[in-house]
Amino acid sequence: MLSRVASNLYWLSRYMERSDGILRILKINYASSQDALNEFSWRPVIRIYDSPEEAIIRDIEFKSRDVLQYMITGKSNPNSIINIITLARENARSVQDHLTKDLWQCLNEYYHLVNDKRLISSLKKGDPVSVLDELIKQVMLYYGIGEVTMERGEGRSFMNIGKYLERSIQSTDILDIKFNKANSDPDLLRGTTYLRYLLLSLGAYDLYLKTYRQGFDPENVLELVVLNNDFPRSVLYSVNNIFRYFERLKQNNDIVESKELSFMIGKLQSTIKYSTVESITHQGLHAYLGQIKKDLYGIGNALNLNYFAYA
Amino acid sequence: MSELDFLNHYPQTPDTWDEMFSSDNNIRPPYQKVIEYLSTESADGLAKKEDLAKNLFMSQGITFTVYNSGEGIEKIFPFDIIPRIITAQDWSFIEKGIKQRLKALNTFLKDIYSNMFIVKDGVVPADIIYSCPHFLREMYKVKVPYDIYVHIAGIDLIRDFDGTFYVLEDNLRTPSGVSYMLENREITKRLFPDLLPQCKVRSVTEYPEILYKNLKAISPRQISNPTIVLLSPGSYNSAYFEHTTLARLMGVELVEGRDLLVENQTVYMKTTNGRQQVDVIYRRVDDEYLDPLVFNPDSILGVAGIMSAYKKGNVAIVNAVGNGVADDKAIYSYVPQMIRYYLNEEPLLKNVPTYQLGNKDEREYVFANINSMVVKRTNGSGGYGMLMGHVASDEEIHQYKQEINSDPRQFIAQPTISLSAAPCFINKALHPRRIDLRPFALCGPDGIEIVPGGLTRVALNEGSLVVNSSQGGGSKDTWVLAS
Repeated sequence: MLSRVASNLYWLSRYMERSDGILRILKINYASSQDALNEFSWRPVIRIYDSPEEAIIRDIEFKSRDVLQYMITGKSNPNSIINIITLARENARSVQDHLTKDLWQCLNEYYHLVNDKRLISSLKKGDPVSVLDELIKQVMLYYGIGEVTMERGEGRSFMNIGKYLERSIQSTDILDIKFNKANSDPDLLRGTTYLRYLLLSLGAYDLYLKTYRQGFDPENVLELVVLNNDFPRSVLYSVNNIFRYFERLKQNNDIVESKELSFMIGKLQSTIKYSTVESITHQGLHAYLGQIKKDLYGIGNALNLNYFAYA
Repeated sequence: MSELDFLNHYPQTPDTWDEMFSSDNNIRPPYQKVIEYLSTESADGLAKKEDLAKNLFMSQGITFTVYNSGEGIEKIFPFDIIPRIITAQDWSFIEKGIKQRLKALNTFLKDIYSNMFIVKDGVVPADIIYSCPHFLREMYKVKVPYDIYVHIAGIDLIRDFDGTFYVLEDNLRTPSGVSYMLENREITKRLFPDLLPQCKVRSVTEYPEILYKNLKAISPRQISNPTIVLLSPGSYNSAYFEHTTLARLMGVELVEGRDLLVENQTVYMKTTNGRQQVDVIYRRVDDEYLDPLVFNPDSILGVAGIMSAYKKGNVAIVNAVGNGVADDKAIYSYVPQMIRYYLNEEPLLKNVPTYQLGNKDEREYVFANINSMVVKRTNGSGGYGMLMGHVASDEEIHQYKQEINSDPRQFIAQPTISLSAAPCFINKALHPRRIDLRPFALCGPDGIEIVPGGLTRVALNEGSLVVNSSQGGGSKDTWVLAS
């Protein structure tokens, strides 16, 4: 496979996963904002995906609709849905011969949907949840079509590596920012609301209830989101999958440079696998998550250097 | 209101061949079934079909982007839902005519880049060859596989007032539009269920297979699975959709210049598994940009060193480099002589009479009759830089004459030929619009094959004679009937 094609598939996949993450966060936080007694601040949500100037945040942080517009249709926000899907589609456009026609069509429809005037106006005046639902459905269609129609070859491995790398970075980021906030404001953890919405925005709520029967406890939340083997958005699950698809890639693609990357992924996987809540607390959550993020970025850079670079 | 209402009051264009209606306003027999079908629909029903067509083009990403004040706006190439029909008899004539013409043009290219017999025998003047900017000395004595230069040709045909076919232009470099031939047909299948088989319309779907077969056959390495790539200038090119479609339909890799490299006069592509040798390149990049070491040094669309690999015979390039000397507008007027010279046959398809403005007598004649002439640049394309004498203002004519006088070789003139008209569905009624026809011919070691169909381009502006998509042109599905 052409290096450029591999790179485009990988980025297409990262952008699509990112848009999925953003939309879910927005949906849950919007619900949370309608539930809040005090003014609801969107600051942490904005900060997960973008670092705009303080003035911009201050301007919109308490205005849900403004934040939604900034995060969905804001042209100045590099991680707004409209910008991300444009990038995803541009990546897909130049590798159309490696995607199925169904998948390409789905991406197009997603793009035209985000640009639809009707949607933009109901984001301003109508029910934002319907808008978010409609967009989320489009991402789900993308995943479904990919699952059913895409060839299980090299391209798919690159796409899955991109997807799980993006997902693990997102889960790590969300956890880091949310727990940081709770650190500076311990009152947040006293009620159940804060942790419940944290779990909901990661789609972890149901699984949490089934796994832990004694209410909301920060350590249990940590265990689920970082160390759980079966939760599809946990850091461990995602890293396991990066490992899995990289091994598959290596079977047909054993270049010398793959050893280094193999080592990096394996090391990260083991680090997480052999962590416990105690060892993480001992090290300090922020430092622990910081190290994981650094390793994930390292993997991204090594992929870029060894597989995508134009030498 | 009767359902047939939108069909009536069709304003025929005077002195023009109408494809659907004869001069006494009767429906021509091949269109009978289409009209029967249309008359069961209301104008609103057809308008709905038109919307469906637009949505299908949009959702399949068959669009191009127009940049306007920083905002990219996605547009589709206008598509008219009413098909254009060519009878089996007309098609068999067109097919023979194009094959004959291509055979001569291909022989001409081989001759020009080797012995130049046609110049030595005084059939084509030497200065017209040497002054052509597309005549590439780099191609002299380069051996191309099977002596095929023109693998893919798009010959533009028009019809005069009496229905006679004329060749307007030979496109022998990188003719585009074939993806619209394929997509228009797919859309028509959706718009008019069951109508195609009822009318016995021949299928066009074989095109990618034939092209692939020909590309594979000319691979310099005779191996079972040569690497064939389609070289595109990239996603900002207006024909990018076509490049992706063809790559997908043939199952070949779509590459850009930056994906390729040349070492030891061999072309490789950069893959995740290291380098992979490339055998055949179907390029959609113009000669000028193909190799910065040989042609335009600023080009980043091409591949440095690719010409050395080509000359060495390590890679096949389709179409051959240097074909522009055969489809230059000044050479065009010599094609009938070429056919007589190389094939000893009379040309089947007529040329539009063409005046060389480099020739003093012809120039004076053209200036005297400028109001009934179309003046074109010999190296122009896309409908730009033309003077339409019958509509131009005195000042435009004056300016254009000055340009001509400064370098007459760069211009030719043709009498204004009135293109044939076909009914188009515009604003919920049928209106006549001018059309042309571009069939696509494929040439391989087994001979020339022409897929029964082509691209019918439409000048959508009322009264316009320019069908180019850059000048407000659209397209129609083109039906060739089996009997």
